Amino acid sequence: MATSILDKLPAPEENEANASSLESIESPESPKSPKSSETPESPESIECPESFESNVLNAPIEPTIHKAPTNEAEPLNASIGSDASDASSEAQNQASPSVASFKPNGKKAKNQGRIFTIPGQVVSLVVLVLPLVVALYMSFTDWSPTRSSLRDASFVGLENYQELLIFDNRFLQAVGRTALLAVVCLSLEFVFGLALATLFLRTFRGQKFLFSAFLTPMMVLPVVVGYTFWMLFQSNGPINQMLALVGLGGVEWFRNSNLAFLAVIITEVWHWTPLFFLILLSGLNSVPENPIRAAVILGATPRQVFWKVVFPMLRPVIIVAFVIRAMEIIKIFDEVFLLTRGGPGTATETISLYIYKLAFNDFQLAYGAAAAFLVLACSILMVHLLMIPVRDQLLENRS
Amino acid sequence: MLNRPLSPWQIPVLVLALIVVLFPIFWLVMTAIKPPIDWNASPAIWIPSEPTLINFQTLFDPDAIRAHGVGGVSQSATRAVLGSIMASLSSTFLAVALGLISAIGLSRYSRTNWATPLIILSGRMFPPAAIAVPFVIIFSMTNLMDTYPGLVAIYTAVTLPFSTWMLKSFVDDLPREMEEAAMLDGKSRLAAHLTITLPLIKGGLFSTTMLVFILNWSEYMFAQVLSNTKIATIPVQLAKYVTATAGTLYGVQAALAVLAMVPLIIGGYFIQGHLARGLTFGAIKK
Repeated sequence: MATSILDKLPAPEENEANASSLESIESPESPKSPKSSETPESPESIECPESFESNVLNAPIEPTIHKAPTNEAEPLNASIGSDASDASSEAQNQASPSVASFKPNGKKAKNQGRIFTIPGQVVSLVVLVLPLVVALYMSFTDWSPTRSSLRDASFVGLENYQELLIFDNRFLQAVGRTALLAVVCLSLEFVFGLALATLFLRTFRGQKFLFSAFLTPMMVLPVVVGYTFWMLFQSNGPINQMLALVGLGGVEWFRNSNLAFLAVIITEVWHWTPLFFLILLSGLNSVPENPIRAAVILGATPRQVFWKVVFPMLRPVIIVAFVIRAMEIIKIFDEVFLLTRGGPGTATETISLYIYKLAFNDFQLAYGAAAAFLVLACSILMVHLLMIPVRDQLLENRS
Repeated sequence: MLNRPLSPWQIPVLVLALIVVLFPIFWLVMTAIKPPIDWNASPAIWIPSEPTLINFQTLFDPDAIRAHGVGGVSQSATRAVLGSIMASLSSTFLAVALGLISAIGLSRYSRTNWATPLIILSGRMFPPAAIAVPFVIIFSMTNLMDTYPGLVAIYTAVTLPFSTWMLKSFVDDLPREMEEAAMLDGKSRLAAHLTITLPLIKGGLFSTTMLVFILNWSEYMFAQVLSNTKIATIPVQLAKYVTATAGTLYGVQAALAVLAMVPLIIGGYFIQGHLARGLTFGAIKK
């Protein structure tokens, strides 16, 4: 396996000699599940699915791969493949070959290379960071465009934040509501997504078509999703028609607080279950086969295999899925705005809707900005805590 | 992994799931081809007996629907469609071009530590309603309100972290030996990246472009906040039909929604293979 991948490398001639010598070393390596990708597989990708078992095997040979084009003596820990493990260690990072191997005078090359990131940084700085700084300043003032210009606004310190956290019930309710929405939606999406993904581990006719079909909702614009479900939930709409068949006629989805909230949940689950399905399926497909075979030989039932062997290995993937979805659901706006506008009353008002109404209906810009920063702080904290167990995955970049 | 066939009880589950997934889309498309009299009929009509394209025609020629006794469509959607195409294409191009340069820089010439993804992700965590506030202030000072350059600037900045991070994951997948070899052959750093790196990640580049385009094309809030009379995008126009004449323009709205949705479904189909990576910011490689 490993050798065939090396052969695919359109490597320059200098590499070829080394590649052939590598074959003999690498061939005893455990069979790996082939990963298909348009880009030719690189040596380091060999070990990404089962780094825990093949790290030892690979480590001694990697300096050879690396030295080939550079003729430079690299320390052992600078090998490409061990990056996943050394990503967290700053000291090893320093010794890593990224720059040094391009040109002998590594430091200069590094500085020249930095130029590449400058355009992006400038754009982000001017268009993204600058407004954020303005907003942060604003959140400490009592500014409102109906009264004065920003320069004349008086500095009120943490008053906005105090007001939000202690006195603003509508804000606190919006936060609670968004959290509830997140918990309910993510659980449902996870369960449905996992169920569908496990079905796709089997083989059946039309699998490709079903796979594409199940991903479709994700592609639809949030605004369109909101509008479509608004139509579906009309009192004379198709959902009520179907409910009437089982004796539940005349449901007014948008007049009842709980039902409106339920409508938002259904919409959101329909829209984003495919993401869980997709992520969990690719996670399931990259679970190495050997532990499963071992468990089967040892007499495990399929259920035990799934919960005791596969599921633990899926954990990082599951966390990534939850983090990504949680980030999006905290910001949820488009669907709800078109579906219910936050109504009836404030029954479906999420954080984003509240901030939007504060800023663009009531023109309390400073106050809205403060609310936004509170939300940002909470989300960063949440994402950070959630991602600690999987940060090696995110950093698996072998730079 | 299992290579087993489906059990008998699993087939109805899959069929049911398929129906649930496709039903809203089916309903939207059906509404788009309903004649005005069927739009809000009670009980609802599932499949129109006389399908028509009048709704699509009305989008670009507001007078077309008058013959059916429907008023209230005052504005053609031509401007919104063109605006969406223009804003999405140019901001996608900018975000991907800048993102590609940054991705090569990040992947090949600098260390990313744990804070890097967090900083990049923070941009996507911030509620857009809040970013919109300072934008409105700064844009009204610089006369960028209600202009396409303003909209393109925001879209570029908002999707740039995304495209950078996704492209970086593709560049990371390439062994750097290839570029090094080209440099040893006497190519400059830039030439090595252009002739070696770029062709090898073109699959990833296409997927990133498509995903960024999807993000820009779907964006609603910034466009809503920054547009007034001079610019429009499809999502803004779609929401306008709801607000201006709530409940009366089902078919026309649905037609616009279908127009907006079709390119994304087609485009999404082509990048299925990279979707997981793109939507998880490269955390999942397959």
